[in-house]
Amino acid sequence: MSKQVTISKERMYDVIKSPVITEKATMGSEHNQVTFRVPLDASKPEIKAAVEGVFDVKVNAVNTLIQKGKAKRFRGRMGRRSDVKKAVVTLAEGHSIDVTTGV
Amino acid sequence: MQVTETNAEGLKHDFKVVVPAADIAAKSEARLKELSTQVKMPGFRPGKVPVSLMKKRYGSAVLGEVLEQSVQEAAEKTVAERELRPAMQPKIDIETFDEGKDLEFTMSVEVLPEITPVDFSTLELTRPKADVDDKEVEDALTRIAEGQKSSEPVASKARKVKNGDVAVIDFVGKKGGEEFEGGKAEDYSLEIGSGTFIPGFEDQVVGMKAGEEKVVTLTFPEDYPAEHLAGQEVTFDVTVKEIREPKVPEIDDELAKKVGMDDLEALKTAIREQIQGEYDKVARQKVKRELLDKLSDAHDFPVPQSMVDMEFDGIWKQVEQAKEQGNLDPEDEGKSDDELKDDYRKLAERRVRLGLLLSEVGQKNEIQVNQDDLNRAIMAEATRYPGQEQAVFQYFLQNQDAINQLRAPIYEDKVVDYILEVAKVEDKPVSVDELMKQDGEEAEGEGEDKPKKKAAAKKKAPAKKAAAKKADEAEAGEDEAGKDEGETSA
Repeated sequence: MSKQVTISKERMYDVIKSPVITEKATMGSEHNQVTFRVPLDASKPEIKAAVEGVFDVKVNAVNTLIQKGKAKRFRGRMGRRSDVKKAVVTLAEGHSIDVTTGV
Repeated sequence: MQVTETNAEGLKHDFKVVVPAADIAAKSEARLKELSTQVKMPGFRPGKVPVSLMKKRYGSAVLGEVLEQSVQEAAEKTVAERELRPAMQPKIDIETFDEGKDLEFTMSVEVLPEITPVDFSTLELTRPKADVDDKEVEDALTRIAEGQKSSEPVASKARKVKNGDVAVIDFVGKKGGEEFEGGKAEDYSLEIGSGTFIPGFEDQVVGMKAGEEKVVTLTFPEDYPAEHLAGQEVTFDVTVKEIREPKVPEIDDELAKKVGMDDLEALKTAIREQIQGEYDKVARQKVKRELLDKLSDAHDFPVPQSMVDMEFDGIWKQVEQAKEQGNLDPEDEGKSDDELKDDYRKLAERRVRLGLLLSEVGQKNEIQVNQDDLNRAIMAEATRYPGQEQAVFQYFLQNQDAINQLRAPIYEDKVVDYILEVAKVEDKPVSVDELMKQDGEEAEGEGEDKPKKKAAAKKKAPAKKAAAKKADEAEAGEDEAGKDEGETSA
């Protein structure tokens, strides 16, 4: 399965940028899933390690997605918003993270 | 909800109320759900915000709201269950509350006393009744005639200007041979003896004949407002064109027509009615005073302390204000603060007691202030500001509060009317002087009288001094309509 990575404390806090609090994200809470915004270069094992390290929980799985930035026209010129990477983290049964309280 | 009565003495009741935490939690949950339909949060469509999130975000605010509401509700329920009639808003102290804990608070209520009005038909009152003297009417007529004074030109050429005449003059003022500004006029009607011109001018015009010219030499007074003239010697070339003599019109139908009446007889009747109306008003005031005194004597129920305190504070403020301005009642001068406070406290108690009594009587007999009464009162108010009636109407139309302020005195009057109807009222003919005089004597004599009576007289004074205050008082007195008794006189 996935390989184990060890990352530094700093990197852990860098990887977890913020929780995603939306209607869709809260739907995941029924399946013990939590969504975070993560850097574009973060890998799944990295995210798993970071979440486990910061919140002291056990992570079953990590799914990631990259939401492409919208193309926007500004004063007639084309521009592009930055892409965003999100990670949907499935926690092991019995574990939970209160996303609204912050770290 | 658990309620325990911790103290009940006299009119005062203390309660300790405990509301279980579950009740509060349920209430706040419901409130949050209700809110969630309206709240807008980024990432959620309106109305789709989960309750758990709402609780995080708005929990504490809602809790405060719910708390207040439950305290209110609990207090109301307590009062309703025990069938208390609170005199004022209950005083509530919250003792403990934390999330997940029971809410505990104490409340103290003062209840209205049980009032059993005496049988009003046993009351015996005398109403002084004065008739209008013919002389009084004549006097009024003369005053009207004088008000209609006109002047007529004097025919005789030889007639000299004398004091009281109106001289129609042209004049040109000169300083050192030069005309100065504002010193010139033509066909000016100068009433000799009126003192409109600088001193000396009018004196020198006296004795001139119509058509005569004269140079008047004068010195402007040192304190004359125009600086370039003050203290200067000037000359006026004065020409008297006409001499007019003031004439008081005769009292006849002609005069009556001038003031808008059909004939003299009608004018006389109108005057008589007006004067009679004034007498009746005074008489009514007296009966009312007597009635209130009697009622106050006849009733001795305990009154809620807090109401007395409030009333007293109001009075005391007025007294202190009067003191600062130095127009304290002569009666009160030389008394120490403590003595004064004592006096006024008695007054406050009397007012509260009478107010409660009157409102009770009003309630029992279903006396209500209807729109007609209000309209009449507004009319009366409007006529007090001649020329601005329209503005006054507007004010009352737009201002519900103002109308409510009128309501209290009307209510009081109606209750008094009701009692007067039931009570034995004896008409006693008195002379006009007696009717008017009694009032003053009473006020003086009451100093040595019972403190209660003195109160009645005193309350007139502050009311007069601060007409504005009247409004405040009336406002406070929706239920306690009776307390500003006697103020209509102010």
